[in-house]
Amino acid sequence: MTAAAISHCARCDSPLERGDLRCAICAEVVPSSSGKAHALEVQLLRCDGCGAAVTFDAKLQGLSCAFCDSLMHLEVLTDPVEQTESWVPFTVPQEEAHAALKAWLSRLGWFRPSDLSARARIEALRPLWWVAWTFDATVRVSWAADSDAGSGRSNWAPHSGQVELHFDDIPVSASRGLTDDETQELAPFYDLATAKSAPDELEGATFETFDVQRSAARRRILKEVKRASRERVQQAHIPGSSYRNVHVSPLLRGLETHRYSLPAYVMAYRYNGELYRAVVCGQDAGCVTGKAPYSLMKILLVAGVALALGLAVARVILAQ
Amino acid sequence: MESSAEGTAAALDIECENCGAELVVEAYLKTVECPYCTSHSIVERPPTTGREEPTFGLAFQVEAERARAAVERWLKSRGLFAHSGLKAATLETVRGVVVPAYLYGVVAEADCLASFCEDSAATERYTDSKGRRRSRRRTKTEWRDLSGSYARYVVDVLVTASRGIPNAELEAVEPFDLRGLRRYAPAMLSGWIAEEPSLPREGCRREAHAETIERMGRWLEEFMPGDSHRDLAYECEVRDELIDLVLLPLWVFAARYDPAKPPVRVLLNGQTGAIAGKVPLSPVKIAVAVTLGLSIALAAAFAFLSARGMS
Repeated sequence: MTAAAISHCARCDSPLERGDLRCAICAEVVPSSSGKAHALEVQLLRCDGCGAAVTFDAKLQGLSCAFCDSLMHLEVLTDPVEQTESWVPFTVPQEEAHAALKAWLSRLGWFRPSDLSARARIEALRPLWWVAWTFDATVRVSWAADSDAGSGRSNWAPHSGQVELHFDDIPVSASRGLTDDETQELAPFYDLATAKSAPDELEGATFETFDVQRSAARRRILKEVKRASRERVQQAHIPGSSYRNVHVSPLLRGLETHRYSLPAYVMAYRYNGELYRAVVCGQDAGCVTGKAPYSLMKILLVAGVALALGLAVARVILAQ
Repeated sequence: MESSAEGTAAALDIECENCGAELVVEAYLKTVECPYCTSHSIVERPPTTGREEPTFGLAFQVEAERARAAVERWLKSRGLFAHSGLKAATLETVRGVVVPAYLYGVVAEADCLASFCEDSAATERYTDSKGRRRSRRRTKTEWRDLSGSYARYVVDVLVTASRGIPNAELEAVEPFDLRGLRRYAPAMLSGWIAEEPSLPREGCRREAHAETIERMGRWLEEFMPGDSHRDLAYECEVRDELIDLVLLPLWVFAARYDPAKPPVRVLLNGQTGAIAGKVPLSPVKIAVAVTLGLSIALAAAFAFLSARGMS
């Protein structure tokens, strides 16, 4: 259940939130809570301040009184900035995250600078809650694509179909701090069932907040539903082994979204003036992702050796 | 206030609640301004007269001075062939009108059938005229028929409910940003001219339905796979129709560019500022341009012919 839901759309069963005038999915009108009087009525609007007549003012976006400039308000579509509903707790203690990061740094391979482990300050590993939406939905997807199945003499044949898909807890990153690559790596390692209504107390923790309004969030989630539908169709429903021109059209029912804060440890460090970052999942120390510098010296050295070897081999072959 | 012959029949006499003056509200209007004390009255008629209560309204965001300045700029930049009187046109009757329209939405499902072309490149071997064996790349096409279905929500189709503003004119200043919808409250009309819907709901529904089918056709074109396709035929069914009366803000201008001719109507979207109107062309300018073009073509032809004749 979406916490902010006040009722469900009569037409597509998606939750409606406080302040919605229309369903965000299918545009069904949300019935007004206050009944309307249906008698012949003549209204004169008077300013609450001075009693003069008032008009709707385009500049002030409200009713304004020409005599005393006070403003009266109309019911407006509310579009609040979203807030986290549930907090997924840290299950990896800080020491374990340190160890995981150290192991990751040493696993990076020979092409990395030798002094990386020493110069990257692991103590700077800080706990962070990053934000994400998840959605559940039932989608009837119409799809069309070219595939190699039944293509005969040409390379492609057209195919189409309609399929009912269910999505459960599909994560969509709302983080501005972490990149999409990083959040995609981390997302599968969280157990959303452990979520609580308040964050754990952790020293020095950073809390990322949702910084988009509800309408923008919904657009982003709808885009993600379409992307996920396309991915699912490509994986399981298009016949043959290769495809192109994939088009999908989702018809949504009961789209529910939840807002989570997800735990991670983040270490940002500088190496030769460049900023790098490593992220450890807060619920599974096995998941570490991030970027690390390469050692130019080592790469040049290997390239030089390879070139020299190649030349030597060429000479031997030519000499024969 | 203009009076209309059919309007007076159902016009309403009310008393200004501020100064007590007698006011007449025309049948097609929802608002009236008292000429004596400039108080604004809004009339809510009972539903028994067959009138429909609006569900939503959009508010004016462009003020009168900004609208006027924008339209004046617009009139001055109407291109080479526009009537020269436009540059000095006077704007008569500037009015902010709240126009009724229907907001329509459906679940649309289409069954479609089309022929798809799939290209493939093949290497072909042949013997040329001198008996040499050669090969060349050729693109082969194969046509296949495929039928399928397509379903989606179609929402936010707007059609006019006012006889005064034809749908094509409204479309010219669309889109409106429907995120700004507010639930209708009579207060939002205060100080503006507000029209009652004057077109029957059923006719508007049919018009919106037709627009929906047309949109589906465009989306289907984009949905088709294949390198190309032809003979796209589709049958569209709609269900769960929504149709709600909404009020849209429009600035209506009458620009007089020639004292002998009727003024041209220019509309400005009161929310987004988009402007549209039918620009009168100058027959003199067009005639001059055509003559000039023809004489250049004739001169060129003559020069060409005489050059050929000489050689």
